[in-house]
Amino acid sequence: MLALVAAGYVLAFFFDESTARDAVGKSLHTLTIVAPIIVIVLLLTALMGTFVDPKAFTKHLGEGSGAKGWAIALAAGIISHGSSYVWYPLLADLRMHGTRSGLIVAFLYARAVKIPWLPLMASYFGLAFTVVLTLYIVVGAYVQGRIAQALLPGD
Amino acid sequence: MSERITHAAKQAVGLLIFIAPMLLAVIGLVGLFEAFVTPQMLKSLFTGSVLHDTLIGTAAGGVSVGQPFLSYIIGGELLDDGVSPYAVAAFVLSFVTLGVVQLPFEAQLFGLRFTLVRNLLALAAAILISAATVATVELLT
Repeated sequence: MLALVAAGYVLAFFFDESTARDAVGKSLHTLTIVAPIIVIVLLLTALMGTFVDPKAFTKHLGEGSGAKGWAIALAAGIISHGSSYVWYPLLADLRMHGTRSGLIVAFLYARAVKIPWLPLMASYFGLAFTVVLTLYIVVGAYVQGRIAQALLPGD
Repeated sequence: MSERITHAAKQAVGLLIFIAPMLLAVIGLVGLFEAFVTPQMLKSLFTGSVLHDTLIGTAAGGVSVGQPFLSYIIGGELLDDGVSPYAVAAFVLSFVTLGVVQLPFEAQLFGLRFTLVRNLLALAAAILISAATVATVELLT
């Protein structure tokens, strides 16, 4: 895929050099934002894999973790920061260690609640819209997690 | 203890090497989209039909990339231009919950089945939640 994206940039430079340069600048800017977060996430992943007993994952986030597991997934999704793809390596590792797929799905959807941006959303769309949407996102994250768990039982 | 820390560091480096190509591809795509897909282009997709615009809003949000506040700014402008609030809500929600750009990366790490299930659920949720939100707000206000 990297080769495809590189080819895309070559084409972009060929057809519209100034916008392509702009794209490079935006990508580099994104990289500077993402890089520290990905380093932290990777270190967390590695530290968890080294120091945390795999049984703990199963107990708190695996089969039988119940409401606690859902609460952890939803809360963690809401407070997590950065783009979703930055969290993929950690989540994939958690899944490998026994975390239910449904909790991963719930985490990823709950990330739609961006607490720092809520005031801005309210200024554009109103407080009622912001509160209602936030509540529905959390409920939606739980429901999607449940459905995903039913559709991906062995994963 | 130091051995375990060294082991953890080596694991982190190994994981970084494994995901680096795909991660760089996603970041590169983000730059291309942010530069070439302008808010004006997105606005031109909406026609005034609630159903059509809601679906377009979902699709447009799903392929768009950037910080969440961008969706609020674009969404606000769409509302000012008379686009249906259902469509705007769908756009804002799918902007942060869907991501065509990162699908290959997600599939690489979680598998195709997980990726398809999660994204199809998110797609349906974007439409349903945005409709429910607007309907609820209209009921409350």
